[in-house]
Amino acid sequence: MDWLSNTIGADWARALAQFVGINVGFVVVLMIVAYTVLAERRVLGFIQGRLGPNRVGPGGLFQPFADLLKFIFKEEITPSASTRFVYFLAPVIAITCALMPIIVYPFGPTVWLPFVGEFSLVIARFDIALLYVLGITSVGVYGITLAGWSSNSKYSLMGSLRAASQMISYELSLGLSLVGVVLMSGTLDLYTIVEQQGGWFGLKWNLWDVSRVPQVIGFITYLISAIAETNRVPFDLPEAETELVAGFHTEYSALKFALFFMAEYVNMFTVSMLATTLFLGGWQGPFVDVFPWLGVVWFLLKVTFFLFLYIWLRGTLPRFRFDQLMSFGWKFLLPVAILNVILTATVLYFRWS
Amino acid sequence: MSDVLPSISQLLFVLFGAMALGCAVAVVAQRNPLYSAISLVGVFVSLACLYLTLQAPFIAAIQVIVYAGAIMVLVVFVIMLLNVEEEVRRPLRLRYLVPVGVLLAAVLVGEAAFMLQLGNYAAYTPTMPASSDVGLTASIGTGMFTKYLLPFEVTSVLILMAMVGAITLARQGRTPLLAAPGNVTEEPAALTAGGDVLLKPGDTAATGRAFAREQIRTGDAAAPSEVSREEGER
Repeated sequence: MDWLSNTIGADWARALAQFVGINVGFVVVLMIVAYTVLAERRVLGFIQGRLGPNRVGPGGLFQPFADLLKFIFKEEITPSASTRFVYFLAPVIAITCALMPIIVYPFGPTVWLPFVGEFSLVIARFDIALLYVLGITSVGVYGITLAGWSSNSKYSLMGSLRAASQMISYELSLGLSLVGVVLMSGTLDLYTIVEQQGGWFGLKWNLWDVSRVPQVIGFITYLISAIAETNRVPFDLPEAETELVAGFHTEYSALKFALFFMAEYVNMFTVSMLATTLFLGGWQGPFVDVFPWLGVVWFLLKVTFFLFLYIWLRGTLPRFRFDQLMSFGWKFLLPVAILNVILTATVLYFRWS
Repeated sequence: MSDVLPSISQLLFVLFGAMALGCAVAVVAQRNPLYSAISLVGVFVSLACLYLTLQAPFIAAIQVIVYAGAIMVLVVFVIMLLNVEEEVRRPLRLRYLVPVGVLLAAVLVGEAAFMLQLGNYAAYTPTMPASSDVGLTASIGTGMFTKYLLPFEVTSVLILMAMVGAITLARQGRTPLLAAPGNVTEEPAALTAGGDVLLKPGDTAATGRAFAREQIRTGDAAAPSEVSREEGER
């Protein structure tokens, strides 16, 4: 690393290192996401008493690549009455905003590699990491909204209107449910939040940390609003097949549809990572002190649990009605999230004084 | 710092400054309101990136969350719901606006040139943004809840008043007029004949009937098709 910073300057060397890190992170996440799709199809098959895709490769292991090839070679159809520029822009916004938050999540502790030296398994650490995640998520609404508008189709428009109002509503309870953790940690930097949850065999995880304030209410509120935020069952009204064909992506085909599809699963993955980082101790786990690389395994195991929960819910629960969804979000989830903030602040105030 | 490559902060400043300016011009120059809204989002995002290069990360995050993420989403939402037409280029009603605009722009440029030429910068030594922690979340929070508590609370009350006012206005019970092509150009006197009905809030059936009557009257019962005109422009 030293010779590199001597040749092109420390700033550029750091930028280059982060560029490499971002690419490695994206490739890893996209591979995990591809296999999440396969896992979803297989698990759903198991729940519904059938097999699921098992033809391509051993046990269907190469199915994601077959799907990708199919997406690439399908015909790209652009509706003649669409607003063309926005129609192309929408999936780009969706996938960009889905991938951007990945850089702030700590995948593991400080590790050592030959030729590289010691480094932390997080691409960027900055003061506002959590706000950055929330900001990018809120910009992601545009992808869906513009997709529905530019397709010039009634189903798409209805789907995107539903999606936009749903995401705006549930963003509030999502953000408020995280405030409890921020109050406890006193920082927005995710790496520090994870470090604070170490020791005591997992008893210091924010979810049930009795030495501070257990965030059980915050965790449940976050989980529900995260499912709604990613438009998954039972909150998948934007793409309700029985009413709206496929919702906002009705008019999209081939690779542009694949981008929306990928964005949905990457979003699932990132909200699972956020839940793991904030409530379940991130990469903390047994023997991480001895073998730092084990932290990655613990982290991915916890994230996998949430991904499985998503698939499980999809196989089990029916869909909400739209007015139920709205009144649930505004009249139940939001007050509960605010209650959690007040409770946490009060308890912390009396602890400190 | 190496002399082979330009410094990263300069590069980022040029990149995002150019993006902000380009998007700002596009906001004014676009004739489709939705394109203007998207360009405005671009302005907000590139401004946030400029704040980041000035070591003010908290302001940058709030800029994206509040403006790009909340306010502009609502604007785009309204544009989509109302199906606002592309602005038709009409002859300017106030003809003296153009010379006034040119004059004001000239004055602005003159002022800037004056300041740059004659300003005394010897006494002014700004601190490097990298060495200050003003923009960090902790320092903003501390400042807001100690030194600047009163302005902060007064501003919140002001915003609350605006919200209450908006809700009071919205609950007056009059049907809002749809911005359909028919009722924009018509005289207001013709509109009050059938469209301006007093409705109780929450009476959705009556609201629907009023809207339907209005749409049938203006010949807008079927969704307006913009296919032919857009095709012509392309």
